[in-house]
Amino acid sequence: MDKWIPALRVTGIGFYIATCIVGGTLVGWWLGDKRPLYMIIGLVSGVVLAFYGAYRMIKPLINNNNRKENG
Amino acid sequence: MAETGKRRGCLGCSFPVLIIVAIVFIAIFVMGFLAGPLGQALFGEISWLKWMSVGRPEPHLPAPVLFHIFGLPVTNTILAGWITVVFLVLVSWLITRHMKLVPGRVQAAFEAIVGWVYDLCQSTAGEVNGRKFFPVVATIFLFVAFNAWLSLIPGYGSILLGQNELIRGANTDINTPLAIALISFVFVAYFGLKLLGIKWLKQYFDVGPLFRGIGRIFKGKFDFMAIFSGVIDAFVGFLELLSRFITIISFTFRLFGNMTAGEILLLVTAYLIPWVLAVPFYGLEILIGFIQGLIFAGLTLVFATMAVTPHQEESH
Repeated sequence: MDKWIPALRVTGIGFYIATCIVGGTLVGWWLGDKRPLYMIIGLVSGVVLAFYGAYRMIKPLINNNNRKENG
Repeated sequence: MAETGKRRGCLGCSFPVLIIVAIVFIAIFVMGFLAGPLGQALFGEISWLKWMSVGRPEPHLPAPVLFHIFGLPVTNTILAGWITVVFLVLVSWLITRHMKLVPGRVQAAFEAIVGWVYDLCQSTAGEVNGRKFFPVVATIFLFVAFNAWLSLIPGYGSILLGQNELIRGANTDINTPLAIALISFVFVAYFGLKLLGIKWLKQYFDVGPLFRGIGRIFKGKFDFMAIFSGVIDAFVGFLELLSRFITIISFTFRLFGNMTAGEILLLVTAYLIPWVLAVPFYGLEILIGFIQGLIFAGLTLVFATMAVTPHQEESH
């Protein structure tokens, strides 16, 4: 049963990252009235948010691993 | 030595039966191939096989409105959602009507499913929180999985009412996954607020350090580091909040995308080689329905557990 929880956490990351990047780009594209600069700002913001969210999701897994390694 | 009457076989069938089934299966496959667009392109149209061909699929993403109730539109996917609800209520009622200490096959199967979800909740969220989360998590799992499984039954997508399909898999309408994602979001927020109180909101609106840093300026002390770390805290809180809202979108598109792609895959395979090719994909869709139900319910459980775990505790 313990194996399901990490698996579920990791399963959520892929779509989350995709949504952040695509969503950020689209919001930038829409806000900047299709100007490339705003689209790039949106893309970068999406990437930052994607990395932050992914880090938050896998942080408990890293902590668990560290705890196991330290006994 | 005389034969004892024990017949050799495979999958519970004797070899002659298996051979007949295989021949029929291959014959239908070949006839389906010849009747489908691939066979027609290679060998031309065979008139006596015309009855086997399947119409070209034309999937429509928006669900058509069938009728109105009190001015509210009812689409074919809402109808399918209601069928799932009625099915689950009826099955639950039938199974729990005469519960036995020594369960029969059906009772044992459902006890195994519910028990498995219950164990998952307890092993993730702990004994007390697991029990609180279980009803919502199990409901999401059963609703998503049975929506997917019931939509594989013949009749879904094939019975027409005028120009439109009478019922279509509820998960293939983006509004259904969005509604479940919103329920999941509200559920996580409710338990976060109930169990952690105002502390839960603090992780999203962590502006206290920033205001304290600004407050010091009015007292004549300019502490750049306090203001800087306050800005960082506020920004991280904003990212957390944004992240929660993006989760709703990612939940929605994951379920909608998987289910719609599955339905289109079945339509296309049934069109290319009618009758036989779609069969293994039906099996695949049964598995995907289970996995999608598990992911939706499991992620709700994980986020609810994260919401009721204070940050300090989580990072230790």
